[in-house]
Amino acid sequence: MGVVAFLILVVGVVFVVALAGGGSDNGDQQSSPGQSGTTTPKKAVSGDICKGNTLITFGEDPASVLDPIQVRDQGTAEYVVEIFGGLVTLGLDAKVGPDIAKNWDVSADGTTYTFHLRDDVVFHDSRRVTAQDVKYSLERAADPKNASPTVVEYLGDIVGLKERFNGKATEVSGVRVVNDQTIEIKITHPSEYFIDELTLPVAFVVDKTQIEKDPRNWTRHPNGTGPFKLQEFTPAQRIILARNDRYHLGAAKLDKVDFELGGGSIVTRYENNELHVGGVPAIELEAVKNGTSPLAKDYHPQPEMALNYMAFNAKQAPFDDPKVRQAMAMSIDRNNINNVLLFNAWRVADGILPPDMPGYQESVKSLAYDPQKAKDLLASSQYAGKMPRIVLTYAGTAGDAPETLQAIQSAWKTNLGIQVDLQATDYSAYLRELRKGTFQMFVAGWIADYPDPENFLDKLFASDSPENELNYKDATVDGWLFQARAERDRTKRFALYNQAEQKILDDAVIIPTFWPVNQTVVKPCVKNWPSVALTVPKYRYIEIDANAK
Amino acid sequence: MGPGLIGYIIRRLLWAVPVLFVISVLVFGMLRMAPGDPVDRILGTHYEESAARQLRQKYGYDQPLYVQYVKYFQNMAHGELGVSTLHTDFTATDVILPKVWISSQIGLFALILTFGLGIPVGIYAALARGTFLDPLVISWWLALDAVPVFVLTTLTSWLFALKLGLVGLSWDGVYSTHIILPVLVLALPGVAGVARFMRASVISVMGEDYIRTARAKGLKESTVVFSHIARNAMLPMITVIGLSLPGIAGGALFVEQGFGIPGIANESLQAALAPDYDVILALVLFGSVLFVLANVVIDVMYAYVDPRVRLGARRG
Repeated sequence: MGVVAFLILVVGVVFVVALAGGGSDNGDQQSSPGQSGTTTPKKAVSGDICKGNTLITFGEDPASVLDPIQVRDQGTAEYVVEIFGGLVTLGLDAKVGPDIAKNWDVSADGTTYTFHLRDDVVFHDSRRVTAQDVKYSLERAADPKNASPTVVEYLGDIVGLKERFNGKATEVSGVRVVNDQTIEIKITHPSEYFIDELTLPVAFVVDKTQIEKDPRNWTRHPNGTGPFKLQEFTPAQRIILARNDRYHLGAAKLDKVDFELGGGSIVTRYENNELHVGGVPAIELEAVKNGTSPLAKDYHPQPEMALNYMAFNAKQAPFDDPKVRQAMAMSIDRNNINNVLLFNAWRVADGILPPDMPGYQESVKSLAYDPQKAKDLLASSQYAGKMPRIVLTYAGTAGDAPETLQAIQSAWKTNLGIQVDLQATDYSAYLRELRKGTFQMFVAGWIADYPDPENFLDKLFASDSPENELNYKDATVDGWLFQARAERDRTKRFALYNQAEQKILDDAVIIPTFWPVNQTVVKPCVKNWPSVALTVPKYRYIEIDANAK
Repeated sequence: MGPGLIGYIIRRLLWAVPVLFVISVLVFGMLRMAPGDPVDRILGTHYEESAARQLRQKYGYDQPLYVQYVKYFQNMAHGELGVSTLHTDFTATDVILPKVWISSQIGLFALILTFGLGIPVGIYAALARGTFLDPLVISWWLALDAVPVFVLTTLTSWLFALKLGLVGLSWDGVYSTHIILPVLVLALPGVAGVARFMRASVISVMGEDYIRTARAKGLKESTVVFSHIARNAMLPMITVIGLSLPGIAGGALFVEQGFGIPGIANESLQAALAPDYDVILALVLFGSVLFVLANVVIDVMYAYVDPRVRLGARRG
């Protein structure tokens, strides 16, 4: 009995110590830096999230500062498009619509755009936006001192912009303030997708007063014109956006959007009613698809305007022989992979342009699965019987390659007798080597910046495009692509792109694998969740309906 | 605390300086040797060269390696540990301190729980030696120790959050009910180790002559257990506790990942993958400082508990 008494005593002491420890820590916490993460309002108790008016979702840490002209990745753009705005914006239907400009005229030759600005647009601090602000923002984007990674790529068609960026001019001559409410932008050649490019962050309007006052840290509390203000940004914890009540296109219905950046088990938290939006883990996908999972009723797949593909370096052996590329493309049964490994949750990319993209043409087809023909092609290639080592590089960490890649690897082995080594490379090294063009064969993906076929076909395959990391150069394809750049008739322009697309697919410069689909679950009380995954301002449309079942 | 002890502490801390120097040179060099740099990750594949130049200039990567290191060392001497490239605009200190603080608090609670359970369990098992209770108690805790942390995480989340609805899982600050599961998952597997160590220690003390003497004097059994056995058996325990201290600030990766805790282990992983040069370096230096400090603390604690230990006393 002595021992039991002792145990009770010790446990009691430990509890007192623990409580005291906790208590004193609580006191210290007032001044601790850890406080930044705990100042936010307590989250709704489980089950109550549909009663509040804050959308709780998950997100990732932005890769770059929240400065529109520095944004390079989609993750950062997700926040920037909500905080800032430009002359024009993309709607949920992927169509260009007015934002700061209420309308615009295009000259007969298609090279002069005149934008008429709304008179009720204000920054978050209530200062009015004028044509001068637009001019300042475009000048700032082109200023070589600011070294925007994207300005030449997306706004390079503006007259004088490249000269300014290369330090040969002191001003972008093609941007002219007509009056407070009017701005004129001249481009070097007629371009039907120029207006789309103006919806990108690099063309957004920023506040000169704020930037000049606090050039170093203004991005921590940016003063934009978008539907939401940045209320809190704690790295690896959360980003909170709060409604801009004076938003000119109609204030958002939500009070706040809370992006949880910490990771953890998203789906468990979703099931525990702590998140409105969750992702479906691969292991749960089959049960969600066949309806046996409790998540199935909230399943909300969002097709992305994106393409996953494998690319060949056509300058290296054995891929300098198109027959090898075609044989490898034709020996993969992508439908079967989608069926078995992805439970048909993704879409097999039977082309380059995703079906949601304007200009998508169903008759354009990628090479079909035909193992016999693939074998014949390989046998007639110059590398028949003397295949050099093939390494397929992908961005990833050590461990097993993704299952889909393993399936493809085994298809090549079975159907063609080719051993392809899969090589995972650290992400930043992968990017560097990709840029240098040293890979023999690599896995890549492309997400549309804006909904125009130019953004896929010209950017990835035109010989003069900086994004053409394949170093692909084909005179016929180039001819069509260059012609399309200046073509103003939509039907003719899209026909040119479809021709180019078919030729690229027949050449098998890349093997398109899938058009990815976001596997999301959304609580039934969330209304107007977009049906397509696009990086456009979307949270202002969303409502939380407490009565929804 | 005598002057000898203070001198000892100062000497030990001064020794830390060359240690930190060597560590910083090594880590700095190794990081720069790895392929790919933070600028690659920030800019992706397509960008204007000038943007990359400007960023490399901003972070100083355009300088020769030794210049970069000298600059880093100068800044370090002023208490500046560089800038995070993963969390742009934030200094390495800004990034690390809140996370260390979060991990430390959670770690401390778990540590208290681990030892608070482990020590009495160990004493109980030792006193119950020879009965079926000893192996029963120890093996129960060993079983918990044998379950991988990620399984415990999933199981406890499922049971206490989804099934019973007792606690939430989202990160809600350290002082919320959401912290109960992570602390339990962090603490419980360690109990077996502490208990077995304590059991062995108690058993060895129980065989000492002075315990027999104490009993022979007719002392009450509880006095013997508390004042004589437990106190002496705690001595080696101090080393174990002391060496666990730097660990708590290091966080626990599986627990932080599993429960989405914005702690230092999560940050370390992200920093290593990014790579986030200055944050990695700051983390390594921070860990080294803690380790040195913990060793000093252990020595000092020994001096307090065991009067025979005299730190700083001249030998011979």
